[in-house]
Amino acid sequence: MMAAEVVAGVALALGLVWYVMIPVLRPAAVRPAAGGADDGADEVEDLSPRTVALRALKEIEFDRATGKLSDADYADLKQRYTAEALAALRDAPAAAAPSPSLAATPPRAVCPDHGSRPEDEAVFCSQCGRRLAAAGAYCARCGATLEAGATYCNSCGVRVAA
Amino acid sequence: MTVLGNLALWIALLVALWGAVMGFAGGSQGRPELQLSARRAMFATTAALLVAVVSLEWALFTRDFNVEYVASYTSRNLPTFYTWSALYAGQKGSLLFWASVLAIFGTLAVVFTSARHRVYLPYVIGIVSIVVAFFVSAMLAAANPFERLPFTPVDGRGMNPQLQNPGMVFHPPMLYLGYISITIPFAFAMAALLSKRLDVEWLVAIRKWTLVSWLFLSIGILLGMWWAYVELGWGGYWAWDPVENASLLPWLTMTAFLHSVMVQEKRGMLKKWNLSLIIGSWLLSIFGTFITRSGVISSVHSFAQSGVGYFFLVFLVGSAVLSFWIYARRLPLLTAETRLESMVSREASFLFNNLLFVGIAFSVLWGTLFPILSEAVQGTKVTVGPPFFNQVNVPLGLALLALTGIGPLIAWRRASLPNLQRQFAMPVAAGLFAGLALLVAGMRQPLAVLAFSLGTFVLATVAQEFFRGISARHRQYGEGRALAAARLIGRNRRRYGGYVVHAGIVLLFAAFAGMAFKTETQATLRPGESATLRSPFGHEWTFTHLGVSQYDALNRLVTAGTVELARDGRRVGILKSEKRQHVDGLGRPTFEPSTEVGIRSDLREDVYVVMAGVVNGTEQTVYRFTLNPLVWWVWFGGYVVVLGGVIVMWPGGGPPAVRRTQAGYAVKLASQSQETRKS
Amino acid sequence: MTTITRRGFLQRSGALLAAGVTGSAIQSPAPDSLAGAGPSGRLWDPNRAGRSQAPTTERDSDPAIQVLEKRLKCTCGCGLDVYTCRTTDFTCTTSPAMHRDVLALLDQGLSEDEVVQAFVERYGVTVLMAPPKRGFNLAGYFVPSLAIVVAGAGLLVALRRWTRQAAVPASASAAGAPDAAAVAASPEELERLQHELDEFSA
Repeated sequence: MMAAEVVAGVALALGLVWYVMIPVLRPAAVRPAAGGADDGADEVEDLSPRTVALRALKEIEFDRATGKLSDADYADLKQRYTAEALAALRDAPAAAAPSPSLAATPPRAVCPDHGSRPEDEAVFCSQCGRRLAAAGAYCARCGATLEAGATYCNSCGVRVAA
Repeated sequence: MTVLGNLALWIALLVALWGAVMGFAGGSQGRPELQLSARRAMFATTAALLVAVVSLEWALFTRDFNVEYVASYTSRNLPTFYTWSALYAGQKGSLLFWASVLAIFGTLAVVFTSARHRVYLPYVIGIVSIVVAFFVSAMLAAANPFERLPFTPVDGRGMNPQLQNPGMVFHPPMLYLGYISITIPFAFAMAALLSKRLDVEWLVAIRKWTLVSWLFLSIGILLGMWWAYVELGWGGYWAWDPVENASLLPWLTMTAFLHSVMVQEKRGMLKKWNLSLIIGSWLLSIFGTFITRSGVISSVHSFAQSGVGYFFLVFLVGSAVLSFWIYARRLPLLTAETRLESMVSREASFLFNNLLFVGIAFSVLWGTLFPILSEAVQGTKVTVGPPFFNQVNVPLGLALLALTGIGPLIAWRRASLPNLQRQFAMPVAAGLFAGLALLVAGMRQPLAVLAFSLGTFVLATVAQEFFRGISARHRQYGEGRALAAARLIGRNRRRYGGYVVHAGIVLLFAAFAGMAFKTETQATLRPGESATLRSPFGHEWTFTHLGVSQYDALNRLVTAGTVELARDGRRVGILKSEKRQHVDGLGRPTFEPSTEVGIRSDLREDVYVVMAGVVNGTEQTVYRFTLNPLVWWVWFGGYVVVLGGVIVMWPGGGPPAVRRTQAGYAVKLASQSQETRKS
Repeated sequence: MTTITRRGFLQRSGALLAAGVTGSAIQSPAPDSLAGAGPSGRLWDPNRAGRSQAPTTERDSDPAIQVLEKRLKCTCGCGLDVYTCRTTDFTCTTSPAMHRDVLALLDQGLSEDEVVQAFVERYGVTVLMAPPKRGFNLAGYFVPSLAIVVAGAGLLVALRRWTRQAAVPASASAAGAPDAAAVAASPEELERLQHELDEFSA
């Protein structure tokens, strides 16, 4: 009985040592750790600036709906978190890919006369038939069309680049 | 199987040490072959410890009384059910149990950590391996469960009768699971500090583990209360015993962490504080082990004491110094990202919540250690018993209860006065109404009235939160109320699961307050005689002694006293309380006679009958009759707390897929979203 | 005192069992152990019933004495107070003895505080379940509460400072520019944000 135990113990020891030492003895055989179970589907887990800002926006909306935030505070906070969310979206357009709808939706085209088109992937304006240019930016303050790469609005002078 | 067991312990020690070296080296040098070796060492340690556990169970089940541990905690006639639990009935076995569970948790952490957090793993393995190695070396040096006796006793001493209770089969493992699993968040925190990756990721990695640990600890504490109530026979469930306190301490600091972690997630504040809470919780769990194992402070849990206490003291002090030294060196990397916007905000209320949790933890720790302190300072040892703890902690607990209601009503970031009025009007009114109603009904215990009143206030806030949340969804998304309720909880599991926990805590507090109205009496009855007791609910209970019967059971000789219960003159049932003389396989008495109580529980009060003994060997019996109000609500509140914890922990992202289906372009997006996730 | 034979015991238990089954006959058990109908029956094996207990009296359950004895610790090492120990662990001989001492001292006309004082003189302050509120023991009672109050005050001061720091940049931006100017956004971006928000699980 005792001999059997000693044999079993030594076998256990040898087996485990072999198992543990193999990667060190033969490092060439080791590939970088393969990705295993990924539970990244949980948005609650995501603490990227984008998610945090979006979550904050959702929350203040909900807090106003449940009566916790006054309208004035809501407006103030909404402005701040909208800015943060936009900044986060601009910083990480590629990383923002987890939102699949965006990846699937190309930038909406804009007709100079009839504005942004409701149809996805429109090439011609559905009202006047004009060929649509890629959308140009608008000044958020006065609504003037901005030149590509403008830092200030050419109409009202407000700083527009982030 | 002791040879194999001993070998397995030595293998586990060496492999764990190897794993620690490989973990730290692999982590700091970024060499994949060392990291892989560390991972494998973690698995191998677990395997070796499991072999040791199997060896010990083998010895226990085969009743190998030549093994000291087996002879000390089992006997030939110990039921199989309790033979399993003999693994942790004594000090040496519980060390083995502890080390094995820790290794298993380490393995789970290695397997289940998501790819994002893999960078921390080598360090995590390093930390966990060191702790495992410590436990195994403590066993090998001072408390080896495989130690053999120079002779073989005919029968073992048997298990302490108080441990032969279903509660005791589940309470220690649950408590241990809670204690032990704190090591994983601690290891992640240390990994973050060591690797200097102190962004938000470590927080995500440890939050779930902290929840796991918190849930196990909660269940463990509740089961411990239940065991004390049904087995120890004094008619209560919490005695501020040092060991109970030791389990409460990490629970308090972890609860504080689970609250303040939200502030860090949402606002990037309190990083230093959160890290120190995790380190502190882990140190408190080791401190708890030290208290339990060393017998520094005498306690009813004395069956688990021995000389390894000082191992733990050295380990405790050493790891405290080391971890806080590393922490201090990384402080410059832990600055807050944002500032508080308002004094009246959820963030601020969480700060006060943390103040109270940590304050209560400090006061419990202070009270637990005060006898030692007093002996050192004024040379006299004093006793710090329940009266002391109640005086100091009941007001703090009530303040915490109030904050449980106030906090959730305050919005994140900022709250203004008209909003606060709208939020607080209904709950405050409900609380005041409850208090007045109780006063009118004749309740005259100020603290109890306050507790019930605050409890009503908190329950009203929880109800209001659910109601307003459902209404808001109903308005915003046009969902039906049932659907809105399901989605509200499903998509904000942490928030609303947390509210469920709050509701459970309120029930617990109310039940605790009910104990202020405990009434009891002793009576010596001949068969046919009866005693009466008036309950706080105004019932008159009559206890009629029916007689005493005696019979043999598997490993004990039983003397049972039977009492007929009548409430307000109407018969409601029969209760039996037993005296048990445990015997070994040869019929020789082991241990002093123990008492089994008889309990009848309903929503209002428990009837608790204890047979003290008989007079001069006749059927004239001495009983203690106790009416314990609201005890049922302790267990029910416990279920609610655990339910809430499970809601919070419930894994998976469920809702997004459902939502996209409704958005109408589900099919196309589903495949894309999977691709993007993988990238 | 009637000695009951094993057979008699079995018969009586049988009667009890039958009574338990029918439920109604409980009120009329075998005559030898009826109250007032003579002494109680002897147990089959008294040794297994634990230590023989003395019959209790009214005073053993006196609420005032309960309160008094809950202030005194049993010296057997159980860590419980005298009342709890003597009504829980019925194998302890220390707590019933201390209980008798309490009764004797009360009989001598001592007040409750004097009884406690007498115990302190005999056993030292460890006999008290909570240390007396004087000298260093005050630290035991008040250090935690004081620490919480001080930390709370410190927290309030710190909060005020933090919020003031945060308020300065916030108000500057609010006063300096009109609403939307704080961030310039193309309609495309705003729409994209709206999209993200709709997608974001609430």
